[in-house]
Order: sequence, then C-alpha cells, then structure tokens
Amino acid sequence: MLMPTLEDIVGAIVSGLLMGSIYSLIAMGLALIWGVMNVINFAQAEFMTLAAFLTFFLWTLFKVDPLLALPIIFAVIFALGYAIEQGIIKRVLGAPPLNQIFLTFALLLVMRYGMMVGFGPFTRILSGVPYAEITLRYGPVAVPLPKLIGLIISISTALLLYLFLTRTYTGIAIRAAAQNSQAAQLMGVDIHKIYGIAFALGVAISGIGGVILALFFPIYAEMGAYFCVLAFIIVVFGGFSSIFGAYIAGLIIGISETVSALFINPSLKTLAAFAIFIITLLIKPTGLFGKG
Amino acid sequence: MALEKLGFKEIMYKKIIVGIVAVLSLFILNYLLETFDIAFAAAVLFLVLMYSIMGMAWNILGGYGGVISFGHGVFFGLGAYIVMSLWLFYGLTPWIGIPIAGICAVILAGGLSILLRLRGHWFALATIAMIYIFLLLFQAYAPGGAAGLQAPIVPPEKQLYYLAFAGPYFYVYLALTILIIEIIFLRKVVNSHIGYYLQAIREDEDAAKALGINPFKYKLIALLISAFFWGIAGGLYTVRFRFVDPYCVFDLILISEYPVIAALLGGLYEFWGPIVGTVIFVPIAEYLRAQVVSAFPRYYGLHYFISGIIFLILIYVAPEGILGRLRERQYLKRFKIRSGNSNLKLKNRY
Repeated sequence: MLMPTLEDIVGAIVSGLLMGSIYSLIAMGLALIWGVMNVINFAQAEFMTLAAFLTFFLWTLFKVDPLLALPIIFAVIFALGYAIEQGIIKRVLGAPPLNQIFLTFALLLVMRYGMMVGFGPFTRILSGVPYAEITLRYGPVAVPLPKLIGLIISISTALLLYLFLTRTYTGIAIRAAAQNSQAAQLMGVDIHKIYGIAFALGVAISGIGGVILALFFPIYAEMGAYFCVLAFIIVVFGGFSSIFGAYIAGLIIGISETVSALFINPSLKTLAAFAIFIITLLIKPTGLFGKG
Repeated sequence: MALEKLGFKEIMYKKIIVGIVAVLSLFILNYLLETFDIAFAAAVLFLVLMYSIMGMAWNILGGYGGVISFGHGVFFGLGAYIVMSLWLFYGLTPWIGIPIAGICAVILAGGLSILLRLRGHWFALATIAMIYIFLLLFQAYAPGGAAGLQAPIVPPEKQLYYLAFAGPYFYVYLALTILIIEIIFLRKVVNSHIGYYLQAIREDEDAAKALGINPFKYKLIALLISAFFWGIAGGLYTVRFRFVDPYCVFDLILISEYPVIAALLGGLYEFWGPIVGTVIFVPIAEYLRAQVVSAFPRYYGLHYFISGIIFLILIYVAPEGILGRLRERQYLKRFKIRSGNSNLKLKNRY
C-alpha cells in the first residue's frame, strides 16, 4: 500500500473538518435537548431529514435558493418542534424514563416512515443550484463550495447559540432550567415554555444541518438513520450535556472518518467513529468535556 | 394427591391444563392449515411464535430489569449467521447449530456488557449504534458480504437432518417447542431471586445497591438470558427462510423493534405481556406488509409507519399495555396471572 503523502493527509483533515461541522450541528441539538430536559430525542435526525426535504421541494417547486430558504426552514422546524414538545413530549416529562425512551423512539418511526410514505421511497438529488457544483482548489486540497458554506454556517450557528445562551434572558433561563429546574421555577421562569423553546431550538439547529446536507448529499427518508447514530456517538464522546463539547467532538469524529479512510479501508471509515465510541465508554464514560 | 407430593399445588393443575389445551389447539390449528394448505396463515403463525420467543426474552431485560434495548437484533443476526455458516461450510445440522448460535449470542452479550455502564436513555441509544456497527461489520467481513448467504438445496432423504421443509408448517412445531421450553425456563428465572432482584433494580437502582444487590451482575444475567434466546430465534429464522444477509437480520425495525412494540402492547411488567402483544400486533403488521404494501410499492414503509403510530398512541394512552390495563381494572385477579408487581406506575403525568 502506498504511503499517503502529507498533502493527502492535509486534504483528508480539511474534508473531515467540513463534514464534521455538519455532524456537530445535529449533535449540538441533541446535547441541548438532553442537557435541558433530560430527554434523548431519538427523532433528532428525522428533523434534519425533514429540513432536507423542505429544501429540495422549495428549490424544485418554487426556485427558492437553499440559502435564502434557510431562515424559513429554521422557522418551520422551530415551530414544528415547539408544537411537538407542547403537544406530545410534555406529557411524559414526569413519567418514568421508559416512557420517554419509547415516546421519542415512536416519534422516530412515525416521522421517518411518514416521510417515506408521503414523499415516496425514492432518492432525490438537489440539482441546478448554481454554487453547489463549484469546487475550490488550493494545491492538493479540494474544497467543494457547498461544504465550505456549510462550515461557515455551522460555526456561525454555534457562535450565535453561544451568544443566545449567555446574553439573552431566554438563553439564561434555558441554562438555569438545565441546572436546576425547580430553582429556575422559583425564580419566575416559565419552565414549560422554556422546555418548548429548548426542544424547538435543538431540532431547528439540526434542521440547519439538513439544509446544508441537501446541497451535496442524496435526500431520502432513511438518511437520518446513520446521522442519528453518529450524533449520539458525538454526544457521548463530547460529554453528555456539554453543547460545545459536542461541537468539538463532531469535528474530531469528522476528521477521524476521513483520516481512517485514508490509512485503513475507505469502506470502513465509519468504524473509526464506532471505535472512538467504544474506547470512550471503556476509558472515560463521561466523555471529553463531561463533568463527574 | 400424588402430584402434590411432587411439589405441584392445586392451583397449578388448572394452569397446566390450560397450557396443554393451548399447545394442543395450536398443533391442531397448524395441522388443519397444512391439510388445507393455507400458507399465509401458517407463515404468520410462525412469525407470531418467533416474535413471541424474542419478546419474552427481551422482556426479562426490558420489562423486569428496566433496561431498554433497541438493538437485540445483533444477537439475532449473529445467531442467524452462525447457523448458516456452520451449515454451509461445515455441513453441520441446524439441530446442533441452533444451540451453538444461542451460546455464541451469549458470548457476544458478555462482550457488549460494557454498554451496561450507560444508564437508561443512553443504553437504548448505544444499542441502536450497535445495530449499525454490526451491519457495517457483517457487510465488510462476514462470509457472503453484503450479498448474503443462501442455504444449499437439500435432498429429500436429508430433510429432517437439515430441517429443510417446504412451507412454514414444520417450523411452526419447532418454534412452538422452543417457545414452551423458553416459557418454562423464564418462569423459573422470574420466580427465583434473579427475577425479584431485577425488579428491585428497575424500581430504584440505588436503593437496590444499598440492599446489597449488585445491579451490574443481575442486569448482565438478564442480558445473557435474553441474548441466548435471541440467538436461537436467529437460528430459527435461518432454517425457516434459508437466506441471510446483513440487511435482513440487522434490520432495525423488523427484527429489533417488533418484539419491543409487541411487549409494550401486551404489557411491559407482565410475564405474558409479550405473547399477548405479539398475537395482536404481528398479524396486523404482517398483513399490511404482505398484502397492502406489496400491492402498492409506492407506499413502501407503510407497515413501519403504522407500527410507529400504534407505538405512539400506545405510549400516550396506555403505557401499561393491555394486560396492565386489565389488571388495573381487576379483571386478572381471579385468573392469578403473573405480574411484575410494580409500584412504579408507567402512567404519564397529565
């Protein structure tokens, strides 16, 4: 086997970073919801799939540019997430964890296969977006423009989320609810509204990932399956409720995928992520940035 | 009475008679189906029995132990592959291959026990991740790869030796026998200290620990027991369908989730819950898949969607399941049907 050159390694790291930034978006939403509500949203990646479908239909039917559609889709997914939290998930928050696990898992089945029945079991590819085909080249490093846009959007989303959580009243209330929901309630925080906003924000951030993914990834109803598993591994690796731990861990997982594809076997690149997952569980079950 | 000296109580006569009648009626039902050659009904009957085997075993870990696994399919898939490989490459009869499959599943479960370090939600998610790991591993490294393995054609005189019969009828008897053995074994487990310790751990892990119960040990025992029967069910799948590929045996919904939904439908804390749930759920799902979806391929996924809807409504309206609801209304009192004796109500907060 040929030894990969330094340029190959740099190229692999860059492309891993680009893909990892999208994984991070999905994982960040999962960590946010877990941190605030102590509920794992199994259907997290399904919201991403829905956003990808919305991007596809807005472009093919109404010629709405995916980047212009981003705020619209964010708002739609946010509203849907808020409605689902207030309508369904709120009911099981006080119930035994069994019910919560089953409920969000049932939500996964309903959403994933609802989309499959509704949109058909076909694979769609978004085509004709002017900037989606461009690839920038810097020597050995090839950067597809949509992935670069994805990285920029991903980083700015993380920054905006940080500002939101630290500088606004609602954000501080979310963090208070995460730390101690009863104390937050005593301070006059409307905990039900905060839970709704946190859930909606978590799924809407995954939705952003879906919009970017639609630019270069085939869109089909079951596309969320793999991303759901990856997002989970990232959250475990990053340290359960640490949102920014999840962001960094997502980048590391993305890089590990491409670098292991370069050195081991391209068809087994996803196993690197799983190996990281097992090692994390064995050595440091609290994750990279986890407390306690 | 002579039987009482052997440790049988009077209450048990009725139960044994009910059991024998149930088993005999299933035998007769299958015989009638064979006589009149109603293959679809017999195929559904086989699936009901196979999913009952899986659901009962899952319930030891999920219902009694409170450890929710969505990825028991890894044991099923391993069992299916073991039986198929032994048959294909070493000419070993599935009569020996199926128990070996169970033992291999137990060994795998021992390896996966590191996942028990995770609690609740995270264990459930980790098991889903396991399904994907095994799917990828078997695609890349298993004999046959992504294309799967096909069992050889068996000459008629070796039919019984290789368990290769036409139609589902013979396999119904086989599955029924395994299910009876399983029920007898699981009753012993549930009535022993293991069953009570598991329930204590489910109700309050820290309190159980304080009483000197090692939660990891008993969860591990439950995991091993359930893995054993899932491995056996995988072997049963192989001899019945004579074809395995990674996508079939590691299917997240069809293999790993159907028994879970069925157990929840029947009643999670009930000993007989999984069987009751399977008898109701599997025929519906199977009818949808075989009759509706195959007629309208455009709506592929409809059976999964309907199972999801059933799942969602169930957890929303009656998380205690059918038997749990009947018990609450005191209908089960006079039948003395075994329950998991839970103080922890599965009720949602309204």
